[in-house]
Amino acid sequence: MSPLEYDYTIIGAGPAGMAAAITARQHGLRVLILDEQHNAGGQIFRNIEGIEKNLNSEYRKLGDEYKSGWSLVKEFKKCGADYFSERSVWQIDKDLGIHHVSTNSKSFSSSIPSYIKTKNLLIAVGAMERPMPLPGWTLPGVMACTAVDALYKTSGLVPDKDVILAGSGPLLLLIACRLLDAGVHISALLDTNQRFAILKASPFLPQALRSFSYLKKGISMMQKIKNAGIPIYTGIKSIEALGKSKFEKVRFKNGTEFIELSAGMLLLHNGVVPNIQITRQLGCEHRWYELQRYWEPVADDWGNTSLDGVSIAGDCGKISGSSISELTGNLAALDTVYKIGAISKVKRNQFSQPHRKELSYHKAVRPFLDKLFQPGKSWLIPEKKETIVCRCEEVTVNDIRQAISMGAQSPDRIKSLVRCGMGPCQARMCGLTVSEILADARNISPEEVGYLKIRSPIKPITLGKLAEID
Amino acid sequence: MFRKLHKNSETIKIWFEGSSLDVEEGQTVAAALLSEGYLFFRNSKISGQPRAPYCMMGVCYECMLEIDGQSSQQSCLIPVREGMNIRRQN
Amino acid sequence: MIEKQADVVVIGGGIIGISLAYGLSKQNAKVLLIDKEDPLLTASRGNFGLVWVQSKGEGMPEYVEWCIEAADKWPQFSENLETETGIQLEYAKNGGLEIWLGDEEYNTRVNFIDKMRKQSRSGTYDCEMLKTKELQEMLPEIKLGEEVSGGSFCPHDGYVNPLNLVKAMHKGFKLSGGNYYSGQSVTNIEFLEPGFRIHTENNSYIAEKLVIAGGLVSKKLGKMVDIDVPVGPERGQVLVTERTKKILPFPATRIRQNFDGSFLFGNSNEKVGYNIETTSEVMKKIAIRAIRTFPYLKNLQLIRSWSALRVLTPDRNPVYVESKTCPGAFAVTSHSGVSLASVHSSNLGEWIIEGSHQAKFEVFHPRRFDVPKTA
Repeated sequence: MSPLEYDYTIIGAGPAGMAAAITARQHGLRVLILDEQHNAGGQIFRNIEGIEKNLNSEYRKLGDEYKSGWSLVKEFKKCGADYFSERSVWQIDKDLGIHHVSTNSKSFSSSIPSYIKTKNLLIAVGAMERPMPLPGWTLPGVMACTAVDALYKTSGLVPDKDVILAGSGPLLLLIACRLLDAGVHISALLDTNQRFAILKASPFLPQALRSFSYLKKGISMMQKIKNAGIPIYTGIKSIEALGKSKFEKVRFKNGTEFIELSAGMLLLHNGVVPNIQITRQLGCEHRWYELQRYWEPVADDWGNTSLDGVSIAGDCGKISGSSISELTGNLAALDTVYKIGAISKVKRNQFSQPHRKELSYHKAVRPFLDKLFQPGKSWLIPEKKETIVCRCEEVTVNDIRQAISMGAQSPDRIKSLVRCGMGPCQARMCGLTVSEILADARNISPEEVGYLKIRSPIKPITLGKLAEID
Repeated sequence: MFRKLHKNSETIKIWFEGSSLDVEEGQTVAAALLSEGYLFFRNSKISGQPRAPYCMMGVCYECMLEIDGQSSQQSCLIPVREGMNIRRQN
Repeated sequence: MIEKQADVVVIGGGIIGISLAYGLSKQNAKVLLIDKEDPLLTASRGNFGLVWVQSKGEGMPEYVEWCIEAADKWPQFSENLETETGIQLEYAKNGGLEIWLGDEEYNTRVNFIDKMRKQSRSGTYDCEMLKTKELQEMLPEIKLGEEVSGGSFCPHDGYVNPLNLVKAMHKGFKLSGGNYYSGQSVTNIEFLEPGFRIHTENNSYIAEKLVIAGGLVSKKLGKMVDIDVPVGPERGQVLVTERTKKILPFPATRIRQNFDGSFLFGNSNEKVGYNIETTSEVMKKIAIRAIRTFPYLKNLQLIRSWSALRVLTPDRNPVYVESKTCPGAFAVTSHSGVSLASVHSSNLGEWIIEGSHQAKFEVFHPRRFDVPKTA
């Protein structure tokens, strides 16, 4: 086999990718894993090795779940997979040739971009923040909650002034607690969840009780936030970030009155959604998950997508958290190990049994959580029409609505009229919102409306590097 | 905007807009600049609005800077290296 | 559903259709524009944005003249459209270039220009060859690659933002009282002798005149009114960079710089059927050529690409035809919809409404493709 050909290539060294690599290596497959970050761990276990080594006091605060990641990373590092860090995949060909490039291209001494062939591909790129467009969200000083969490994990940095958190979802609670532990002053929490959401979610509670540890954790986080005396505003109606050239204060509607609060930073979080940039470029089929309002690649219970040889695992398939990510990584790898002929079908099913059992335990809580934290319409489609939807091209809700009134019936037509999705981020920040607005205007489901067409380059590549590819 | 939770002795020298900065190794360019108090990274090419990193994970592209002469690099993905020359693109 | 009535129904909302619809409505016809909006087949969204004369019409001098007429009319057309709609077209007409690598390409071009001059009715062809030194003098801010052997310059050439152009004409159409119906797929056309009833899945439209401007779908639509529209797909891929400092003042067929500073790189001519994927092989070829032309470009970041299907007739020149058995039904197709927008929205409309200029358009009849029977 030539050095650049693999049995199994995994994109993403988070829990799903690492678990898959370990499993595949146990059965002797030739494995490559590509990841954009400097260190393995994905987002959940971001910089876990670095923290354990350099920030041990913080590491100890981070809890058992995080620590379980440490042993996973250690096992991954010795499993014998080829591991290219700081690599961005910019195109995957139909025959599963993978084009990737270093995240850091130095101008005059660029390393040759790489191309590898693989028999099987696992996409384990995880999730990203659901966009939460609101007036002023492009101001410096407004950041995603998970961004501040990443800064804490990779650099031991925390906001030095007070912060206001806004949004909804389990991660919002988790990050709030983390910030509290780090000594950050949270001056308010704006809960955008619908009032009495818990009542709506209660039908799923009995099932959720099977994975009681999740619920227990959730309750203890909420208690911690309450005990810290953080003012919590619930069922709020509209949020605006205000400031001249950076964030200075937030203005929101609580019931009928408007409240303004100053702070150093505004941190937003409206749940996470699968990162489908690569699966879209490849041409995998996707389906709409109505409850949590996102697209996920269509896949069977081994993670096999609609394309031969391509499977998914972890949060890029369905948002489920790190435990499920590891388990789906194992299952995807086992199926590939079987397909490649290293084990029999019987063995595959046998090895997968304990993973499936554990999976059903962790999955039990998901319907409840997904319903409890169902995103509300006003957070999916900004009410103020001057709100920027496409940050790269500064395209507003109004611009998009105008394109629709000109007869645009598809996201791509809207794009051709107002340029949303043409910027460097290639619709990662605006794609979902564009589909929501169009679906709302046409009174149909986003599933019918579809999504913008995603093409290569999945990540920017210089013309020079493109000219040098194999 | 940000403070460090710890003191670290191992620093390296990088350059930002012509000024030298002593920053910790092992962090990304974006994190290093934020920790040194630089919030605004670029101007929107449409209106000139000031922009700063938003997602810190390679999704939003607000953190793009010129690094060692190469334009439009996602500074939240790139670790600092000794002697690195970083500039805004305006 | 209430049947809609008009003087003219135009089928196809891309650049050709909207140019015609816009022009007709400005000539006071009541016009309905119906459009399917099929993502596979929308050629107008894949346009490079050249308003071009150079290189077109080999073997058909009347087409060269038509292109020049269109280019001459473009500045006024652009100004009027901008004033009317407030939409900036980002149009410039300072001439355009083709840049040649190596002696063979240069000499081939010399021969081509000679041929075009000989075939012209005026005995001239406005395209001059430039040696590398002269070409470089025109481009003081960007250095030519070593393999560049020269260029050819045509003063008629220019460029525009094709998306804004389509958008502006849609707006202008609406302002002139036109009606646009999207999401409409034509299932059947009845000839009412005179007039037409056009059926879509859920609607029907009646008009005295019908214009088929459906791009690759025109073939199927044309059959419904006994017109042969011989079109087929040819794929082209384009690469787009980040916005950067403005340094290229003239457009070239394979490289141009937008008003906003981003560069566009093309072109490819691929016969791959109905496939609009972008491929690394072609992207690489485009990148290589661009860098050979201007080495400076190698450090620009590509942030996106597109791929679309050109609508091509066998000789790549337009087809304008009225049905013989269903008079009042017309078909219009050209892969130079942008360049010809100025005349499609004026002269062509007159032909459709009044029948004037008929003789002028005879040369574009599809009968020119009929293989003559051997004796």
